[in-house]
Amino acid sequence: MQLTKYGFSHAVSAFFEMPTELAKNLLPRHLQPLEVQHGSAVFAVTAFDFTESMVGTYTEIVLAVIVPPLLEAGQQFPKSAFYPYLVGTNTPESRAHAIERWHLPHHMADVDCDFAVEGGAMNVRVHDNDKPILEMSVHEHEWGKTNDLYQAFMTDEQKRYKVDIHMNGEFSEHEEESGSLKLHNHPMLEKLEPAEINTYPFRELWMKQGMQTFNELETI
Amino acid sequence: MKPLRQPAENLETSVPEDNGTKPATDQDAASNYWDYDYSNFYSGAGFDAFDILDPFDAWWEQARPRGYYLFGQPITTAPGTRVHLVETKGNTKLENLVNLASYNYLGLSYRPEVIAAAQEAIGRYGLGASGSPILSGTIDLHEELAEKVARFKNKESVLLFPTGYSANLGVISGLMRPGDLVVADQYSHASIVDGAILSKAKTRFFRHNNAADLDRKLQGFSGKKLVVIEGVYSMDGDLAALADIVEVSRKYGARILIDEAHSAFLFGEHGRGVAEHLGLDDEVDMHLGTFSKSLGGMGGYVGGSTKFINYLRGFARSRVFSCALSPGVAAGLIAALKIVEEEPELRAKLWENVAFLQERLRNAGVDIGDSESQVIPIMIRDDARIFSIAEELIHGGVYLNPIRYPAVGKHRSRFRISVSAAHTRDDLEEGADIIIRVLRKNGICS
Repeated sequence: MQLTKYGFSHAVSAFFEMPTELAKNLLPRHLQPLEVQHGSAVFAVTAFDFTESMVGTYTEIVLAVIVPPLLEAGQQFPKSAFYPYLVGTNTPESRAHAIERWHLPHHMADVDCDFAVEGGAMNVRVHDNDKPILEMSVHEHEWGKTNDLYQAFMTDEQKRYKVDIHMNGEFSEHEEESGSLKLHNHPMLEKLEPAEINTYPFRELWMKQGMQTFNELETI
Repeated sequence: MKPLRQPAENLETSVPEDNGTKPATDQDAASNYWDYDYSNFYSGAGFDAFDILDPFDAWWEQARPRGYYLFGQPITTAPGTRVHLVETKGNTKLENLVNLASYNYLGLSYRPEVIAAAQEAIGRYGLGASGSPILSGTIDLHEELAEKVARFKNKESVLLFPTGYSANLGVISGLMRPGDLVVADQYSHASIVDGAILSKAKTRFFRHNNAADLDRKLQGFSGKKLVVIEGVYSMDGDLAALADIVEVSRKYGARILIDEAHSAFLFGEHGRGVAEHLGLDDEVDMHLGTFSKSLGGMGGYVGGSTKFINYLRGFARSRVFSCALSPGVAAGLIAALKIVEEEPELRAKLWENVAFLQERLRNAGVDIGDSESQVIPIMIRDDARIFSIAEELIHGGVYLNPIRYPAVGKHRSRFRISVSAAHTRDDLEEGADIIIRVLRKNGICS
């Protein structure tokens, strides 16, 4: 099996409730949003600071909707499954790589992620030549090593894809609702209705000094 | 920590299928039971609805003896201040445990007057009502109970339901329609959530007790709106921020439903609930509650205007299509309500007990969150260890139930104490001593 690895210093993710009907608008027809409670789907924002990859170092912001994982008898249960509906990176090479290899939809201009640790919180500022896109903060909890399986779903005009992703590294996760999200008026967020997305996460995940390993892309 | 560094050329590699990336088997999932919980088994692949049963069973066989057996163990006594418990793991009987788990807040379920009334009613009417309340199931005891609850709650009318759960289901789905908006506190009970689902109205949840977020959720919606809150929140024991919520609801013309399951017959000068306690009883449109907690029986009710109750009588399907309350239960509830009215000292005793136990635990460094009521969380915040701590508590002599994800957020695991007016000072001292000793041993408090 061909594995593709991406080393990172930080991977920060937060899950925010959004109306299910809005989440459905972001998904292809073959996927349904996973509801955290009735009428509330999950908008996931994940920021990476990649330090090692086939395309060098880069930062990445992933906007996704959480969906039910694809389970098969006898297989491991993924921790979560994502449909990344839009990805932003700060290098053309990383964009081209992710589009070609993983069929991930991208914002086609450079987008930067600034990471700043402050008093047990990671503050991520995403911007486009200093034009703000979003600000997110995630707070730490207890740290421990983990190696979790995730799934990501992609699609293009002809096919539907799935890839299994293993996340290995130092990991903190909690539901203390201590983080925050601020969405700005920016073309990257035009598919969203910021007023309908919670400004605080119900789940906060933070990984440090880890490795993201993609299995081979599967057509489903 | 040493960072992971790998040469760039190793970032795309071929590996054999069995290097650990190979999907795990059901047995792997079972042996790693701790990585899973109920939330993992909500949905599953396959074409047969039973496909999920084998992986669930593989997990359950591992998980149950490691802690999940603690849920639903049978008590062999009345839910009094001391109980006998059958520990199903070893099929052993544990006797005379201090009971801090039952929500028998006034100790009325086993009061002799209540039992006698129930026995007499069963002798006269038989076991069941044998009909829907809109057909043949209504007996004179139901009418009497509804009238007395309405009088106690100072409402024009009251409608009875088979359970508190069905009351929320019936009221919300009976009133709200597709295209309407239901906005509920995020910590709302499942019955509120299920009522909203059944109504098919658009549903939003606002941040717990946060009127600013409620304002945000109500903004821009021009149709019919319902705001749903609880008097006392069942996992944290805090009270509704009612004044702010009323203000925002009125600003947008939203009706307000308060679920006083854990607060009616306890809070307020007359015991009507948190709305009375906060001086806002008349600001709330619908007052809902259960008879299973403070009154020690079962059943639910909603109080409000007679017009509202008359409308609901025809549209609350959870009531229309259920059998009416058992005559024995109805008679027992009438007797229990009489005790509440005639013995206000019971409520005074409850609040004395609450103050004593809260102070005792806080002084020992136990984290009891923001509790303002007889519901007192013991915050453990350790999902991995809460089951073993629960076992130590039970074997130490106190009966408490562990609560962990997904019933509460990840790493917000806790025990939930229900204080009763029936607890003696000795009961509470003994229970607190055991809790403090076990928590200290486990490093949960200093």
